[in-house]
Amino acid sequence: MAVVRHRFLHFVLWVIVTSVSSLASLALAQDQCRTCHEGLGDTPSALFKKDIHAEMGLSCADCHGGNPKTEDMEEAMNKAAGYIGVPKGDGISEVCAKCHSSASIMVKKFNSVLPRNQAELLSASVHGKLSTTGREAIVPCTKCHGAHGIVTKTNPASPVNALNLPKTCAKCHSAAGYMRTYNPALPIDQLDKYRTSVHGKRNASGDIKAAECANCHGSHGILSAKDVRSSVYPTNIPATCAACHSNAEYMRGYGIPSDQLEKFTKSVHGISLLEKKDLGAPACNDCHGNHGATPPGVESISKVCGTCHALNADLFSKSPHKKAFDQRKLPECESCHGHHDILVATDELLGVSANAVCSWCHGKKPESKAYLAAKRMREAIDSLGNSERAATMLVQEAERMGTEIGEAKFKLREVRQARLESRTMVHSFDDEQLQEVVEKGFKSAAAISDGARLAMEDYHFRRRGLGVATLIITVLAVSLYIYIRRLERKQAKS
Amino acid sequence: MKPVWKRLYDWVDERVELGGLVEFLGKKYVPVHRHSIWYYFGGVSLFLFIIQVTTGILLLLYYKSGEELAFESVQFITSKVQFGWLIRSVHSWAANLFILAAFIHMFSVYFTRAYRKPREITWITGMLMFFLGLFFGFSGYLLPWNELAFFATKVGTDIAGAIPIIGKPVMIFLRGGEDVTGATLSRMFGFHIAILPGIFSVCLGIHLLLVQRQGMSEPEESGKDMKTMPFFPNFLLRDLLLWLLVMNVLAILAVIFPWELGHKADAFASAPAGIKPEWYFLFMFQMLKYIPAKILSIDGEVLGILVFSAAGLLWTLVPFWDRETKRGTRGRFLTYVGIAAVVCIISLTIVGWLS
Repeated sequence: MAVVRHRFLHFVLWVIVTSVSSLASLALAQDQCRTCHEGLGDTPSALFKKDIHAEMGLSCADCHGGNPKTEDMEEAMNKAAGYIGVPKGDGISEVCAKCHSSASIMVKKFNSVLPRNQAELLSASVHGKLSTTGREAIVPCTKCHGAHGIVTKTNPASPVNALNLPKTCAKCHSAAGYMRTYNPALPIDQLDKYRTSVHGKRNASGDIKAAECANCHGSHGILSAKDVRSSVYPTNIPATCAACHSNAEYMRGYGIPSDQLEKFTKSVHGISLLEKKDLGAPACNDCHGNHGATPPGVESISKVCGTCHALNADLFSKSPHKKAFDQRKLPECESCHGHHDILVATDELLGVSANAVCSWCHGKKPESKAYLAAKRMREAIDSLGNSERAATMLVQEAERMGTEIGEAKFKLREVRQARLESRTMVHSFDDEQLQEVVEKGFKSAAAISDGARLAMEDYHFRRRGLGVATLIITVLAVSLYIYIRRLERKQAKS
Repeated sequence: MKPVWKRLYDWVDERVELGGLVEFLGKKYVPVHRHSIWYYFGGVSLFLFIIQVTTGILLLLYYKSGEELAFESVQFITSKVQFGWLIRSVHSWAANLFILAAFIHMFSVYFTRAYRKPREITWITGMLMFFLGLFFGFSGYLLPWNELAFFATKVGTDIAGAIPIIGKPVMIFLRGGEDVTGATLSRMFGFHIAILPGIFSVCLGIHLLLVQRQGMSEPEESGKDMKTMPFFPNFLLRDLLLWLLVMNVLAILAVIFPWELGHKADAFASAPAGIKPEWYFLFMFQMLKYIPAKILSIDGEVLGILVFSAAGLLWTLVPFWDRETKRGTRGRFLTYVGIAAVVCIISLTIVGWLS
């Protein structure tokens, strides 16, 4: 009986020992870093519980180094064993890039479709430039993505989620003191402006399709707007906006057309910007604003043309059309010139012909004051154009004759200038004001034509003069020849 | 009762004794032979030089030197001043015809060996005037301050700058600085209207004095029975006849082909395509193009300039090293050298003009 009891005690002891040892080995198989730090109740370990990296099975040691399998703190956090602690400076992005730039890890191990050039793009971006400390890049990965609570960007908790990104960017970009150290010229009210725009308002209301910072500027490879490769460089802006706005499927439900780029490309502005690479020509943002709803200082988009075409806008605002347009709530320039498809404004737009825009409102009442004014204005402009052409032809003819016509040629600019001024003056819709400018052009054209005619008369005078001079010289030469012959005959006889 | 002109002559003769000079001219004879035609080109050159001086003085009444004024003043001359266009056109055409006449005169003297003793000084002064004539052309070309002139001066002074050792200082001296600027224009204006005319007049005075003193050179093969004609009035009247013909040609050229002004010089504009120097520098310019970039580690352009300089010097000093003519034997070597030079100059000028 004693032997039986003794064996039983042995069995119980064995069960206890093996159970304890199994539990102990189970505990050691877990991430000892997390076990301890969660026990301590610190924030990083608490956040890490929901981190995508934790979900994918990564341990603290994958970023911080060390041995996560030992419960001995000194052994686990031994630098000789590869423990690096909290990565600092460029070390942060390097730690991320260790996996995120590696195809073997990202594709083979995690079956990820994330691009693997993020670190490379970041380092070449404006954020990858050297910070004021002179030791590391301005922005490491964690600045935008956070460190321990990283979740996918589709997760509403992610700082790079479409709805959160404006705020994330604004953390630095709206901090005056911080931004001053890097780019004092850059405004810090982009977020405020953004919230006034349709994009910002929709974003605030939870529309993840509405454009946020990264949609226009890019994410990892953000470049300065002055960089020709930047998505927000003037000549690239139409394509950047069109990435969404020309996608009919994407824009469905917003109730706006998706042919703006197509129209803009054919417009006078589009041709200047995209074909002639004239950076002075407006891109989408010059009329619609960069971050805000309109460009700075512009009351509404209907007034945006005046920021460049100031004289025309000023004349229009003093014209009788201003009141009429305001009463009917018509947009100012757009009513006659269109918006995305603005073509070169020819004289055809003026007058009472079928193509003239004046006819749209005034074409049905031929006896009306406005109809007659439009007709007279067109006649005045046409007449000045004819005078300019006539003067140019006379100058060209005089030039072909080889006369010195440089001054008249130079003066032709005055007529051209008057014609341009008259086209601007049309926006006053005041017949008399236009007539004054046109008269100035007529006078110059008349003076040039007179000068050219004089030059041509002079040409004929020169030819006649040459004929007379040649005749006189020839007669003199022949007389001299005869005289010499006579003289020599006389000398020979004597 | 004596005619007025006779009385006037007597009045002057009484005071300055013209009789001796008239007697000298009356006894002066010009040889008549199959090469006599070439004698007239000296006179033609003189006539064209007189035209240059006269039209140049008239242009000076309105021309204003300076980067901001030169082009405008020439434009004013050609468009506003009464007959200004004619004066400018005649000045430009006469300059070119003068160089042509000087070329012909020089080669005719060379081929007829008229430089031989005792006319070495006449030849030397003639050659000096020829080089001065080229410099007259080069300096005058810039004065309208137009695009072509600006870049041609740039190229021309660049070539001068390539001469070893003295090149750089010469270039800076000609330009009045490192680049062709308003300072170059002022400098060229100074050369064109003061320095060159001064030196030229001295050379011309000596040249004409020697021609009158020594008479026309006779051909080597001439005998004692060579035909002659009195210098006064026969030769002088023939000279006058030719001058009238040249004047006619000049008038036709000046009116039918008025000298263009072009566009104002702009230092920041790019050089017009196919820019070339004036025709009388074209053969040298074309030759420099054919010389390889490096010959035995010497820069081709430098070598070309040195060869041209040496050839010019040898040509100028020909009376002193032409031993055959000195001995009285008619050697063929110099004739062949002369023919080669003429063929080379004409063909390279044509090629340069067409290219």
